[in-house]
Amino acid sequence: MTARAVTAMIGGYAAAAGSVSLAARIAPMDRAEATIWAMILSFLVYAGFILWAFHEPRLARVAAVIWGVAIASIGCLWLLGPAL
Amino acid sequence: MSKASKTAPKAAVGVRQSMAWIHGWLGLLAGWILFAMFLTGTASYFRPEITRWMQPEIELRPVSTATAASTAVAHLQKLAPDAEQWFISLPDARTTSTRVFIRDRPNPDPNAKPAPRRSELRLNPATGEALSARDTRGGEHFYRFHFQLQIPHPWGRWLAGLCAIAMLTAIISGVITHKRIFVDFFTLRWSKGQRSWLDAHNVSAVVALPFHAMITYTGLITLVAMYMPWPVVANYKDMSTFETAVFGAEPDAEATGRFAALTPVAPLIAQASRQWDGGSPATMVVRYPNDAAATISLFQNSKDRLNARGGSIVFSGVDGRQLSASPSPGPAAETAGVMLGLHMGNFAGPVLRWTYFLLGLAGTAMVGTGLVLWTVKRKRPNAAPFFGLRLAERLNVGAIACLPVGMAAYLLANRLLPVALPARADIEVSIMFWTWFGLAAVACLRPIRRAWTETLAIGAAAFLALPIVNALTTTRGFFTSLAKGDMLFPAFDLAMIATGALLAFASWRTATPSARPVRERAATRAPLQGAADAA
Repeated sequence: MTARAVTAMIGGYAAAAGSVSLAARIAPMDRAEATIWAMILSFLVYAGFILWAFHEPRLARVAAVIWGVAIASIGCLWLLGPAL
Repeated sequence: MSKASKTAPKAAVGVRQSMAWIHGWLGLLAGWILFAMFLTGTASYFRPEITRWMQPEIELRPVSTATAASTAVAHLQKLAPDAEQWFISLPDARTTSTRVFIRDRPNPDPNAKPAPRRSELRLNPATGEALSARDTRGGEHFYRFHFQLQIPHPWGRWLAGLCAIAMLTAIISGVITHKRIFVDFFTLRWSKGQRSWLDAHNVSAVVALPFHAMITYTGLITLVAMYMPWPVVANYKDMSTFETAVFGAEPDAEATGRFAALTPVAPLIAQASRQWDGGSPATMVVRYPNDAAATISLFQNSKDRLNARGGSIVFSGVDGRQLSASPSPGPAAETAGVMLGLHMGNFAGPVLRWTYFLLGLAGTAMVGTGLVLWTVKRKRPNAAPFFGLRLAERLNVGAIACLPVGMAAYLLANRLLPVALPARADIEVSIMFWTWFGLAAVACLRPIRRAWTETLAIGAAAFLALPIVNALTTTRGFFTSLAKGDMLFPAFDLAMIATGALLAFASWRTATPSARPVRERAATRAPLQGAADAA
């Protein structure tokens, strides 16, 4: 249960932050607008990750997807670097 | 948490079951703090009014923004003509007094002691004279508490954010759990034990569901730059580059050291008002007054617009020329600004403001009834309650019944502490927390049912005492104010009486023996829901 809760709260945050930031970084639109849309929608994505983390019975799958999304998206961002 | 592991979703379960499980646990763990956030946040819809009530010495008639700005500048010219910046919060119909804050220039001698930080001043907007009134945090205290929780920065805000995201997930999972959302709109069965608590929880949740979802999400948006700065980090080299792109550049010219008289401000306000289609500024910042590089920035008041992020204009402080203005917002920036505005409700007139207040109370009731439902559901007749249940019951009393007493004590302290007492503003705040937590500790020593009855009765007495204490300690009692045509103080008295009556009724209901081993407090919230239903 602890692993699931940590994955949901911390991993979910990292996955949400990473995925919306990556989307904001690569979206073909105005930088400022993309950034703000990403910030606005981030909490919905985060809430989605949390709910799914507690809904999906297989903990291994939860951990793999959430931490996988977090590491992959943050890794991509780190390679890309800031646009401006 | 033994219960947790037992009911944790292990095998494949339906969405509804897993969502019900999440809803129950996240709701419980965040619920006590959420209750306090909802209640103090709801009170904050009357933040300037509470501040005015807490400084009864100040009685002002509203004046035009231009007059207030000119008198404030005249006062600051006498007080600190060589300051680095003047921050001037201009009054409107609700805040009546002008607030100014001076930032001195740093001493050029690096070995000199830095000048002590100046405190904020309140000015009479008609004359520019400093107002003297009892020191108090006023409505600002409830407002700050509802997202900082009186915990050192930044931890209070993080904890509030964590509770808000728990609330958001609880709302989504609650809606999924719900089978008959439309029917529950009309269903409230009284005095039926657990069923009544569930009904009360459903009615308060469903009636105001759009409000709950909106207020939770927009609450997160108010601090999005702190909670979720990562999209900015991904795109920009720093936060200020992003802010410049969205809100326009802030003036950054250094002082020249050459004297230049500051331009009159009234024409600038008139010019800004024309550009804002009649809008008025809420804040004026004067940078390097009386220097050749002086600038005057005006920030738009959000009271007459849905988007809380109004525009800003920078003028030269020497000749009044417009130097720059904030860019017009794109769709995303506009959305974010409107979300902010929806949360704070500054645009709301009296009717909408009271609606906001009642919806906020419905949210408070939803959290409160949810907390009680959690305990009622787990209580078994003829079985000693397990430790977690006893703990939850006590924390429920501490959050739901003791916090209102603390808030009443804060207001009573404002009237009963000597006006000139040193550090009186901080003492008022301490009294609120000592009362709240002290009562919660006492309630732990009492049988649970008595704890509810007694604490609610104390709360009722405290709120009912407020109009009397106000009439005895100020010249602005109910009838005197009414005769003078001042509606703020009588309205405040009536609100306190209504709150006291509600708590007294709740106390009476918990004291009335019922056939079932259940407290009946849901019923006390029901008149409110009934009114909302009728509307």
